[in-house]
Amino acid sequence: MEDSPSMDDHQDSSLVVGVGLCDSAPLLWRLQDLKTARRLGLVGALLGSLPRTPRQNQRLGRPLLLLPEEEQLLRDEEAAGALPGPNQDVGGAELRRQFEEDQQRSFEEQSVLALEDRKSALRRAMTSSHTGSESGAEAVDEALCGRLEALDHSFSFPQSAMAVQLSTARAGLSYCPEARAHLQASWPIREQNNPRSDARYQVFRDLRGRGFYLTSAGKFGGDFLVYPGDPLRFHAHFIAVCLTLDESICLLDVLAVARLGSNVKKTVLLCSPVPDGGVCYTSLQWSGMV
Amino acid sequence: QITCNLPHKDCASNNCVPSELFAARSRSHKIPVRGQKDFFPNDSDEQRQRLEQSLNEHWSLTSEERVERLGNLVKAVWIPSDQIVELQSPAGKFWQTMGFSANGKQYLLPEEALYLMECGNVQVFYRDLPLSIQDGYERFLSSATVTLQQYQVFGHLKRLGYVVHRFDPSSEPSSYARQLNLPQSRDRAGRQLKRKRSPSPTYTKRLNSFCFFCSYTEAQVESTIEKMEEDKCSLEGDDAKKLAASPDIQTATTSGADEGRSWWMTDDLGASDKELHHSPTSGSSRWDFSSIPFPDVGSSERHPSCLAPPEPSLLPGDLTVGVCDIASWRRKINLRMVKMSSKEQKREKDTRRRRWDVNKDREVRRCRNWAEYHELLARRQRKRKGRPAHLWNREVTPLHDPKQPISTGELLDKISVIKSTHLLEGASRLKGSEQWRICFNVYQPDTVADFKKSNPGKPYSRMCVCSFDGPVPDLRAIKLLAFQSGDIPVVFAVVDHGDISFYTFKDFQLPTDVFP
Repeated sequence: MEDSPSMDDHQDSSLVVGVGLCDSAPLLWRLQDLKTARRLGLVGALLGSLPRTPRQNQRLGRPLLLLPEEEQLLRDEEAAGALPGPNQDVGGAELRRQFEEDQQRSFEEQSVLALEDRKSALRRAMTSSHTGSESGAEAVDEALCGRLEALDHSFSFPQSAMAVQLSTARAGLSYCPEARAHLQASWPIREQNNPRSDARYQVFRDLRGRGFYLTSAGKFGGDFLVYPGDPLRFHAHFIAVCLTLDESICLLDVLAVARLGSNVKKTVLLCSPVPDGGVCYTSLQWSGMV
Repeated sequence: QITCNLPHKDCASNNCVPSELFAARSRSHKIPVRGQKDFFPNDSDEQRQRLEQSLNEHWSLTSEERVERLGNLVKAVWIPSDQIVELQSPAGKFWQTMGFSANGKQYLLPEEALYLMECGNVQVFYRDLPLSIQDGYERFLSSATVTLQQYQVFGHLKRLGYVVHRFDPSSEPSSYARQLNLPQSRDRAGRQLKRKRSPSPTYTKRLNSFCFFCSYTEAQVESTIEKMEEDKCSLEGDDAKKLAASPDIQTATTSGADEGRSWWMTDDLGASDKELHHSPTSGSSRWDFSSIPFPDVGSSERHPSCLAPPEPSLLPGDLTVGVCDIASWRRKINLRMVKMSSKEQKREKDTRRRRWDVNKDREVRRCRNWAEYHELLARRQRKRKGRPAHLWNREVTPLHDPKQPISTGELLDKISVIKSTHLLEGASRLKGSEQWRICFNVYQPDTVADFKKSNPGKPYSRMCVCSFDGPVPDLRAIKLLAFQSGDIPVVFAVVDHGDISFYTFKDFQLPTDVFP
């Protein structure tokens, strides 16, 4: 597992990942939380449109959806805290005032930048069209000064030209610096208590502990896709199917999943937690009749 | 290019400083292409480098914030009491396929507003503060509006260019209205209109046939027409859907034949019971076939026209066999089919008729009196007409009288064990379910240019959103959804965390090799 510290850690040294609930699904919104999760080997799934190119489905953007096992792991490692809810700092005249101030300041700064930008463009245009001639240099400078002065007087930066940010994550905390405390690592227990989800979690913990990366595998007829390294760089090796030890499985189901595995060139792993806390793995290999 | 990530001051809030906002104008709109993946991790520097590069690229893209020119943004407000978003500046291009007008104002549904926020087209305010995308997700998505899973499907399809609208079962026209080709209108005035319209030809024909039988009230006509339509479907369906239940028939006949054979065998055994006692251990004795001469009747060598009787020891019991005259048999082998001309055929028929003498008929000679002769004649008559007494004089008679004309298709239908059915059979009786319902109507992207919200036309498909965690739709659910959907295919969008798979059940007719 990589463990390279980055600059963000200075800001949030408790390394608590802020989780927001949307329709009872655990979502990560802030970039530093996504990085923290990745460092712990938790991949998740991006759900939102990518800001740069929103109208495509190849690469998606924030928020990141956590698997129930990923959420549970974060909680067990005391690395998950609740982000403030939507109604926490809504309303409040103070916030509105702050927002308007920020907008005004941004507008003024952008106006200045726009003017500078125009001026340098003008300079570039005028000097490049008169390069070479020594005699014309002075005349050019004069004309340039004239034009620049005129620009100072006439230039106007319309409100509509101002660039605004449509924030991905809620910026609430920034408006109340005193409230920008570290998140408490107090994520509630939300998992269901049934043998199947227990088995899934045991298997997830064990494989993650061995350094594998796991994602969901519903499309492949299994519980998890198991990668030997970061999914950004490696293909999955296994399809993990989680079973409790006393669960009986029909032979046709075994055949179906084995066939599926061979079709997608991945090995099927039947995984069952054993009483001593470990996990027992059985791989299926399709062999011919000898 | 300059990206809005890691601004030193406002790291925790991911806010861009004005200089970054300004510079974002010249941001590229291209996404880097993903390279080839490796198969197995080794500890090489090369791999580590590539991983670092991939991760940096990933964070760079993921960290970018949406920056838009204020003039390009449509302003809107969120109204939680109505769970709706009201536009406060004129709508853009998206208005052609999204949103609706009411009370002189323009509105967007929550999922539409959230999608447009994610595209950077709309800025939604609540209490004079702009909502973040996170706010949108947390406030707009719920089981009362659209769930997160449904929104995932919505967004996925919208990003591909489809037009996606919420499905409203009550606004779907009934099959009666569809038959009349009515424009969609839900008010009572619309229903009255149909009398003034000229009805379609099929409707007239049926109405006429109905009027012939009895007088119906309008409501009764409507329900009966619906039933007729179902029947019509089933009739049309029958022609196409007659299942060749031949595999079933074959097994039935073979098993029947087997039983028949064994029945004969038992009877045979019974008959030859007394012979069994006398027979030597013929059951288990070995026969030396090389020493037993089998006459070759077919050989061209000159053989006597009589076969000597076989050894008595080879015969069972009291059986005695005399000399066998094989002359007539030998005349019949090695014959070539002679094609007679029609004149010759006629001549053959005449001579046969002249030669036939009722007195030479053996069965006739067995009759001892006229009564028996009449009985014989009657029996032969019945057999000729295909109704042998032993089949038709009992409680259980054959399924079909050979004298009655019947098409092969209908005959197959009569003897079929499994009747074919169609998906909508019985579907109207099913009550709705909480678990399975159609969420969206989906219209194809190439219709966008001519799309009219007031008259969208028939959708391309209808979506039902579910997840791999839940159950597979059973027949009941499929029937219910197909009925609700009418003639539009229902597609199941199965959500698996970041992934969506689409499944649909297609109607399939088993082929029949019978012409009706």
